[in-house]
Amino acid sequence: MSVPAMSDPLSKSATATEIAHAIAGGKVKAAAVIDATLQRIAASEPTINAFTDIVAERAIRRAAEIDAGKHRGPLMGVPFAVKNLFDIEGLPTRAGSKINVDGPKAVRDGALVRRLEDAGAILVGGLNMGEYAYDFTGENSHYGPSRNPRDTTRMSGGSSGGSGAAVAAGEVPLALGSDTNGSIRVPSSLCGLFGLKPTYGRLSRAGSFPFVDSFDHLGPIARSTEDLALSFDAMQGWDPDDPVCTDRPAEPTLPRLGEGIDGLRVAIAGDYFTRGGEPEAFEAVATVAKALGATRTVVLPEAAAARAAAYVITAIEGGQVHLPRLRTRPQDFDPDTRERFMAGVLLPGAWYVKAQRFRRHYRANVLKVFEEADIVLAPATPCTAPNLGQVMMKLGGVDLPVRANLGLFTQPISFIGLPVVVAPLQRPGGLPIGVQIIAKPYNEQAALRVAAFLEKQGVAAAPPA
Amino acid sequence: MADEKPDVARLVDEAAKALGLPIAPEYRANVILNYERSLMIARPLLEVDLDDDLMSGPVFRP
Repeated sequence: MSVPAMSDPLSKSATATEIAHAIAGGKVKAAAVIDATLQRIAASEPTINAFTDIVAERAIRRAAEIDAGKHRGPLMGVPFAVKNLFDIEGLPTRAGSKINVDGPKAVRDGALVRRLEDAGAILVGGLNMGEYAYDFTGENSHYGPSRNPRDTTRMSGGSSGGSGAAVAAGEVPLALGSDTNGSIRVPSSLCGLFGLKPTYGRLSRAGSFPFVDSFDHLGPIARSTEDLALSFDAMQGWDPDDPVCTDRPAEPTLPRLGEGIDGLRVAIAGDYFTRGGEPEAFEAVATVAKALGATRTVVLPEAAAARAAAYVITAIEGGQVHLPRLRTRPQDFDPDTRERFMAGVLLPGAWYVKAQRFRRHYRANVLKVFEEADIVLAPATPCTAPNLGQVMMKLGGVDLPVRANLGLFTQPISFIGLPVVVAPLQRPGGLPIGVQIIAKPYNEQAALRVAAFLEKQGVAAAPPA
Repeated sequence: MADEKPDVARLVDEAAKALGLPIAPEYRANVILNYERSLMIARPLLEVDLDDDLMSGPVFRP
């Protein structure tokens, strides 16, 4: 297998790893990387609309410090941006809303921003997102939609829409998003990128605006599996400021990324995950399964009920978080979230308790499946990117609302916090689509190894920026 | 009767009153629509039988 040529570290196709190596090796200055990044953002934003905040002065200052020998680390000089629900010191934490702009400015960066910067990375800004993360589309009535760089008339996917769009457009090589029901995996699929939703509780959520405490996860979107592993490793570790953050020791994934798939038992999710989508979603899974030599099908039992339970918990917890604002400032919500939050907060408490009890029942049954398989494959989205503004879509011959159904295949997985890597398949003449590589809890490494294998084989790849 | 359809409009109006959530007339129809959609999406969960001794998995640690 030939070694891929290194990208010019100043180009929009350069990966985080390539940039960090170039800076560490003295081939390029961090200041030059940041200058090129800011120029690219300025050029792309009129069409892509991925950013809501650009912290140029801060980034330039930090690049100068790195060039002066400070802040060495594995991500030295790597520009990155974060979904605007991450706290950025000195800015209000928008979380996609208009309301939060009137709130206090963050006094400190979110935990993961600090961890990436501790590893040498450079924050360049905050990214557009669906309001309060209740979204799979990347659309936002206050800030406009983030547009899919593959086809700017299409949705980026959401709610981490700006994160997907910024990386796919080559504005930054690395972005952080959040994923409650699919909000990292959906934009990764629709924009054709690698995305990692780690195990629930694996990465600290401290200093991020919550949506649904029971399922909120944070994680990276990037152009390569190496960048996912590099950034994930830099962000791991217990944080007392997040009550669900695990105290398990960090388990670096990068050293074993290239070990291949020997010894990994890969299966295909059957039943629920084989219907209700367009043919390209299932073709993508078949392509990946073939490349991995996977033929066995397993059933994640009661996945439809899991999706229903995830929906109920999301609606009620999300609605409850926003109840004070729904009472006092309903007119300032995005119309696409307001009435969903209002309906959610009125749902019966008995449903919520049942959904939480079912969650434990479902977890036990799914973990039994993982006694017989290390990896389970499933579609990431039921279709490629819908048109901007599209309200309904036809899935499996049935008309369904886009907003509620782009996460059909992601919701039953995040519901019990399993780690997932999305591997993107580029479809010549068509739009990209992703496949979920699902592992048992805390086994991000296996999912990353499988994605890296697919990348090496040329089956999965980010598109040219 | 499990199959008897609830009066969702009334349910929304009364629950909103009980919760102290004013719903402006221009939002009401969409709240009702979303509530009806929730009833449909939640159905697979509501049809599951769970053992009495099944507890949820809270993280709260005193």
